[in-house]
Amino acid sequence: MKKITIDPITRLEGHGKITIFLNEDGSVANTYLQIPELRGFEKFSEGRIAEDMPQITQRICGVCPEAHHMAGTKALDDLFHVEPTSTAKKLRELLYSAFYVTDHTTHFYILGAPDFVMGPDAAPAERNILGVIGKVGLELGGAVINTRKQNHWIIQTVGGRPIHPCFGLPGGVSKAINEEERAKIEEIAKQSVEFGKVSLKVFDDVVLKNKMYVDMVLSDTFTQKSYNMGLVDKSNKVNFYDGKVRVVGPDGKELCKYAPREYLEHIAERVEPWTYLKFPYLKKVGWKGFVDGKDSGVYRATPLSRLNAADGMATPLAQAEYERLYSTLGGKPVNYTLATHWARLIELLYAAERLLELSRDPEITSPNIRNIPTAKPDEGVGIVEAPRGTLTHHYITDEKGVIKKCNLIVGTTNNYAALFMSVKKAAADLIKPGVKITEGLLNRIEMAWRPYDPCMSCATHALPGQLPLEVTIYDAQGNEVKKLSQGI
Amino acid sequence: MKTLVLGVGNPIITDDGVGIQVAHEVANQLNDPRVTVAETSAAGLSLLDSIVGYDRVIIIDAIQTEKGEAGQIYRMSTADFSLTKHFSSPHQINLATALELGRMLGLAMPQRITVFAVEAKDITSFSEKCTPEVEQAIPEVVKMVLQELDA
Repeated sequence: MKKITIDPITRLEGHGKITIFLNEDGSVANTYLQIPELRGFEKFSEGRIAEDMPQITQRICGVCPEAHHMAGTKALDDLFHVEPTSTAKKLRELLYSAFYVTDHTTHFYILGAPDFVMGPDAAPAERNILGVIGKVGLELGGAVINTRKQNHWIIQTVGGRPIHPCFGLPGGVSKAINEEERAKIEEIAKQSVEFGKVSLKVFDDVVLKNKMYVDMVLSDTFTQKSYNMGLVDKSNKVNFYDGKVRVVGPDGKELCKYAPREYLEHIAERVEPWTYLKFPYLKKVGWKGFVDGKDSGVYRATPLSRLNAADGMATPLAQAEYERLYSTLGGKPVNYTLATHWARLIELLYAAERLLELSRDPEITSPNIRNIPTAKPDEGVGIVEAPRGTLTHHYITDEKGVIKKCNLIVGTTNNYAALFMSVKKAAADLIKPGVKITEGLLNRIEMAWRPYDPCMSCATHALPGQLPLEVTIYDAQGNEVKKLSQGI
Repeated sequence: MKTLVLGVGNPIITDDGVGIQVAHEVANQLNDPRVTVAETSAAGLSLLDSIVGYDRVIIIDAIQTEKGEAGQIYRMSTADFSLTKHFSSPHQINLATALELGRMLGLAMPQRITVFAVEAKDITSFSEKCTPEVEQAIPEVVKMVLQELDA
């Protein structure tokens, strides 16, 4: 049997390994995905005081610390049985919207765009942000940097620290904002809305106006009919910060809608002998293996899934784009994995619009930012939508608030099964008997993976900082046929 | 000359926290208004955000090389990273690409960047303490950073 390993998967935030085994005739016999994980966080957190969790958990991940801080803070509200003040909730959501603007901007321009702007077959040396900016222009490059910088200023101003906020407390936040800060946030939000619009135009010009890419987006190779998960508000609109988790089937029908406290009734984890990863699935539907369809409990929690799981966007410009996506791609739900890049940009626009709304909210500068908890802590669950999927924090403490047990389901983990299936399908469709295995072909396999933006235990930053993910292909005799291993 | 001393790493992943520990120690021993000491867990584009506007930047980070011994210290310049320029990074883009991007966009990039890297032993376990081998190297790295600042 031949074996192919993709290592590294370029431009991804984490480590991983794709191994593909070929049959005698050169077709794909099987594909495996390996993701090294940092382990033992639950143990590490035992015996710590619960109030430290929003600070500690955000160190797990170098990419989305703000999401962990927010899920941790919400878990503390629940743990101490305290409802935050209205202003506190709005300040949290404001910071979180600014974070979404930065994170989605980064993903699209650094990780997603190179495949389309430079082309899937472009040499790896060009298929990166430098190539993208060389092609789309320095002005847009400057806007990417500036949008990130300005929104990081918001995170620092509202959250008390750059990148790692420290303002979340049970019942509220530690710091109010003044009128001067509010006015600057409003200004940044306006610019971010414009930037969101421009980014959608880039997607239009580069992807939607190119028949080859549209065909690729709509192709069966990159289609997967799984359940969709996402947080929704009371009107079933997409919400990143608060609400209930809604799950909608590949047929567009609602399967369930649950409050954070109920997550264990809906989500179970599958263990496979060939990997340490656990694969979450929908309990009600059950585990039927790595297959898609209505009868398989595999689900996705991505920007596209969030749009599929909701009835719309809560802001006008994003809603218009939402409608355009579905009318262009043939109605709801959309099961084309590559359309996730489009969905991400619609979310970017929504985040910017929401930021603007909150910056103009009369309550936002109120000093009423905290309700002091008075009840004894016992157990709490907090859920937010992290950019890479639904993020659940669950803490159990003693009556002094010392952690006895901690369980986290992080964004990317939700998508492990779906991610594995997408890569497997792309490999089986693209590697055929007699087809030459080129770097461009292996990159197309990686393209099945990139929309998920998997963030795999990227808590370490040791130099030289390349991404160790390789794709290796082995033939039926076990000989290495091809290996893509940049950065190793 | 506006100088930044930047500890990079994750303070709860054993030896990955070495850069941040060194930065803390440098901050304790230093009293110079022209020098800013900071820490970050972010890399790639965020690293670029951190260093724009400084004339000189000293970065301290963990490293893992094929044959290195835990606690070994390397002094490097950005030229040492140019080989990996187009390669990927776990965190968006690597240092060399970030620098090239900054220059391409006409940002105020530092004229001099020095990197002190310490060979790490364990970067997969959760702990706020470095391994003894790496811990022992910290005073030496601090000394090297302070000397670099005097140079």
